[in-house]
Amino acid sequence: MNAGFEEKSAWVQFGALVLVLGSYFLAATKMYSAGGNDIRAYVPVFSISVVLLVVTLIAGNIVAVATSKGDQSDERDRMIAWRSEYLSSWVLGVGIIGAICAMVFGINNVLVAHGLLASLLLSTLLCMGLRILFYRRGV
Amino acid sequence: MGKTKLPIDNSIRTLRAQHGEMTQQALADAIGVTRQTVIAIEARKYSPSLEVAFRIARVFDESLEAVFLYTG
Repeated sequence: MNAGFEEKSAWVQFGALVLVLGSYFLAATKMYSAGGNDIRAYVPVFSISVVLLVVTLIAGNIVAVATSKGDQSDERDRMIAWRSEYLSSWVLGVGIIGAICAMVFGINNVLVAHGLLASLLLSTLLCMGLRILFYRRGV
Repeated sequence: MGKTKLPIDNSIRTLRAQHGEMTQQALADAIGVTRQTVIAIEARKYSPSLEVAFRIARVFDESLEAVFLYTG
């Protein structure tokens, strides 16, 4: 793979988010299906997921740095980061507006919280996916 | 995966060959970008800023028009 640090880091973030938070959402779905309507019941699983995510990101980025020959980010990296963030930020906005609407209509706070978390996850996944696409196809 | 061809063509690969087979890494170091960015510019997958374009032209002691050609 002829990639610099920033591209490898995008792959690491994309993979770690899918793996760790994807697993969390699977576990949370099972908990909710089993009648988990108290948001506090999800805190231990979520905390473990966050720790796993941080550890995975640190390990992945150490590997990315070690295999990148000390690449510094440059104007292309900054343009790709800016453009992918600009094109993906609307997902989080939709999630926030959706969560506000859900609260207005009295939807269970477990669903509201996970809807917000899902919008943050999808927004970040879209951002990382666009970064990878721009690095591979051009910007 | 298909490649995006941007409308600014360039003769960097030829100029590198004419300058003692200068490596992409050497050019990248000279103009202050990563080797991946030089690769992307050569492949027309990234159009550099005016500042980087001038730096590239200066490295080869050429005018901007001798290095870059707008084909759009």
